[in-house]
Amino acid sequence: MAMSLALLIAYALFLLPDKESAIPVWFYSSISFFIVLILAYSGSILADREKPEALKMGVAFMLIAVLGWLFHRYSGAQWHRLADFFFNWEKLEGNWWILWEGLGVTLFLAFISGIGSVVVGLLIAVLRTLNSPTMNFFLKVYVDVFRSIPMIVVMVIFFFAMPFMGISLGSIVSTVLALSLGYGAYASECFRAGIESVHSGQLEAARSLGLSRWKTIYKIILPQAIPVVIPPLTGTLVAMLKDTAVASVVAAPELLKRARELYTSETNPTPLVAAALIYLAVLIPLVRAVNMLENRMQKKRNE
Amino acid sequence: MSNMNLPETMIEVVDLHKRFKDLHVLKGISTVVKHSEVVAVMGPSGSGKSTFLRCLNRLEEPTSGRIYIEGVDIMAPYIDINRVRTEIGMVFQSFNLFPHLTAIENIKLAPMNVRKISNKEATERGMALLEKVGLAEKATAYPEQLSGGQQQRVAIARALAMQPQIMFFDEPTSALDPEMIGEVLDVMRNMAKEGMTMMVVSHEMGFIREAADRILFLADGLIVEDGTPDQIFNHSKHKRTIEFLGKIL
Repeated sequence: MAMSLALLIAYALFLLPDKESAIPVWFYSSISFFIVLILAYSGSILADREKPEALKMGVAFMLIAVLGWLFHRYSGAQWHRLADFFFNWEKLEGNWWILWEGLGVTLFLAFISGIGSVVVGLLIAVLRTLNSPTMNFFLKVYVDVFRSIPMIVVMVIFFFAMPFMGISLGSIVSTVLALSLGYGAYASECFRAGIESVHSGQLEAARSLGLSRWKTIYKIILPQAIPVVIPPLTGTLVAMLKDTAVASVVAAPELLKRARELYTSETNPTPLVAAALIYLAVLIPLVRAVNMLENRMQKKRNE
Repeated sequence: MSNMNLPETMIEVVDLHKRFKDLHVLKGISTVVKHSEVVAVMGPSGSGKSTFLRCLNRLEEPTSGRIYIEGVDIMAPYIDINRVRTEIGMVFQSFNLFPHLTAIENIKLAPMNVRKISNKEATERGMALLEKVGLAEKATAYPEQLSGGQQQRVAIARALAMQPQIMFFDEPTSALDPEMIGEVLDVMRNMAKEGMTMMVVSHEMGFIREAADRILFLADGLIVEDGTPDQIFNHSKHKRTIEFLGKIL
């Protein structure tokens, strides 16, 4: 093992070409060979069940370091400019409120569209329990269409095309409408799965007691379906929150749009980096929460 | 058995057919069940006993035929089937208690939402019924906290809470461990004594011999034999019946 490590280091130190002196074929084949060797070597350690986890963690970090080093050495990126352009916080001084305002609009869009898509999704799922072939056909067409069209296309049509028909919706309404209709289709699939998870005997018991169709859905089916629906539905809503960024295309003044304005006025991409970090700060806790909900559901199911 | 000579007709079935696509499950069943009569429905698996019972409150939609409950044609297009179902309590093989509700809530749900009686009255009625099935102390337990036998007894109380005229039992003891069958049959036996009209799909010979007034023996979607337990168990002349009884005895 030590031998092969030494060989790798020797290969890296002496045989890897400089970027400047490189002949293309020799350059690329040599680097590719080095990467393959590194990957094969670390892979063999990582896949070995016998090796301790601490060693694997070390190998993983070393792998990241090596690939970073390769990128640094050959990509031609000008690292000294990083501080000036990526993390130049001075450029944001006095401008943070613009980003916070953008975040406010993002959360507002997500909140309203979230309610919209839950309403649309629940409505579709409940209507589908009626098992009417004609209605199911149209509902299926709706769900398939909105799950197939990219959200950005729907928004752009609402915002740029509808005015030609004399319908001007404005950026906020276009966004909320597009997200509600689109994610409503996804939400309806979550609700449908939840409703189908309720045993058919429940329906029969409720009906045999003389409960009406709506009372059965409201009192028996939904209370049992909702806990099953919550984890995937939250996941869908988190995806929707991310997709509010698409609204920057139709000039809704949300976080990404405001960051891009700042990027233009300051001629510096730091605001974009800041926006990315804000998205992360908001979404990572949500993503973790969805994960926890899913695990809890899984545990409950296994009990 | 004491009520056998009550004349009033509770259920009348005329030429009932049920098809599932190309499967002809019920091939013309006609019978009459009188007030306070306890009718056991027996037959080999696939003979259509459960389907027959489920057709009578239209949990399965009959393909053709007429069904009269207390003289009302429940196949008529204008009929409110939910009203009809409030008069027919049903107990299922797999209990089908509502898992998100406690025992007492399970029992109160339909009286409060369908009969529109007050919470107080429903609770009183529910507790009395739990008392009757011997589970008063389990009122606030959720179904998952109850044994199979206890769940089935709560399910019976739930059906009785609607004060139905008729009770259907669809293999009420088939999903139970042997030591729990007795407690459920005891409850059913008491109901029979109190004069409830009952139709029971079951193979519990002891219970049927003791509590049933009549046995309908079904095979291949038809009533093969219709008689008292004594006639069917001891003096049957039909090949299908003798063959079947030979297997389960």
